Amino acid sequence: MKRSEPMSESYYYILLCLAKGANHGYGIMQLTEKLSGGDVTIGSGTMYGATSNMMKKGWIREILSDEPGVERRRLYQLTDAGREALRGEIERLRRMLDNAEGV
Amino acid sequence: MAQDRKSSWRAYTAWDYEKELEDLDKASREGWQLVRGGCFHNKFVKNPAVRYRYQLDFGRIEDMGRYIETFREQGWEYVNSTFNGWHYFRKAWDPSLPDSAYEIYTERSGLPEMEKRWARIAGIVGMVLLGFAGFWLWTTIRRFQLPNLIMTLMPAVEAGFLLRGWYIMRNPNSPRKRGGESRLFALLLAVILLGSAAAVTLTCLRPHFTTSQQAASAEYPAEDNDWLDFTVKYPDNYFLDLKMQAEEPMTFSIVNEAGEVVFTKTETDFEARDLRLRLPAGKYRYRLSLSGTGAFLVECELE
Repeated sequence: MKRSEPMSESYYYILLCLAKGANHGYGIMQLTEKLSGGDVTIGSGTMYGATSNMMKKGWIREILSDEPGVERRRLYQLTDAGREALRGEIERLRRMLDNAEGV
Repeated sequence: MAQDRKSSWRAYTAWDYEKELEDLDKASREGWQLVRGGCFHNKFVKNPAVRYRYQLDFGRIEDMGRYIETFREQGWEYVNSTFNGWHYFRKAWDPSLPDSAYEIYTERSGLPEMEKRWARIAGIVGMVLLGFAGFWLWTTIRRFQLPNLIMTLMPAVEAGFLLRGWYIMRNPNSPRKRGGESRLFALLLAVILLGSAAAVTLTCLRPHFTTSQQAASAEYPAEDNDWLDFTVKYPDNYFLDLKMQAEEPMTFSIVNEAGEVVFTKTETDFEARDLRLRLPAGKYRYRLSLSGTGAFLVECELE
């Protein structure tokens, strides 16, 4: 298996949030805080940089909302490549935890 | 009309950006709200009814609409951007929120992205400036002249300043709220301005020309054939490239106002570059003497 670089915390949580469905930046930020119990926050600068880079990598894409009331709102959506990257990272983290348990 | 607008002239270095934020927060507390941030000067309007916290971001933004929206979603109002890639944001101050609520870079490992971006660019520009300094150093070693010396020192000083900033920015433990950097920056700008003015002026004041004279045959041997005048405005090293070819020996000299010979060569076939003449200010004259009537050629360049 191809070894990939460990993901940064913000990349990981953004992908994790989007695995539950397309979301906008603010939604990702709120969900991240909720999932991590307030431990992880994603500031605007980090959010813009991370989403830009992950769009370039093809992990996420931009779509426009068709929900009534918030039409044309910018949303991020996970791509297949993004789902794969997230799966790889989860496996890596799981192996690390397993290793800890073996000690 | 009451004073409800003001400008502040102050340049902050990139690695001192938290000092700028601190000053902006202080101004806001005193009722002066930033309306336009710039490299060298900030504009404020008076409004004691509100209070903001500020943030600065750095980088080339590909999608400005998405960028501003990403910040707006978290309560940041976009103020403006400078030509060199700094972006000002402000957020209404809420005393119940901790300082961490105003952070825009939250990644806990490594430097904030914007500091990495800045350090990358500063590193490249610093190396290019060092390259310039190296080129001019080589030129100065070949031709030790005042303008060349200034052209070496200026990029060297700039590179030193920038690479110092690069080092500070790359070191996560060094404060971004140093203070005193503004004065150093002002000093650097003064050095660049005065240095450039001096280099241009000194270059313009130098005699610099290429000239040649040749003939298939001289009608009669010329004794002390005065040829061309030039003026040296300030004492320095001047360099002569000289080529002489003649059937019979010819003499090329440079004499000063008093008629004293400061340089002379008598040759039939001669070519040299970078002949150094240490000339005081004054008027000078090229003088050519032929010892026969044969063909001759002389070419010279003085700088």
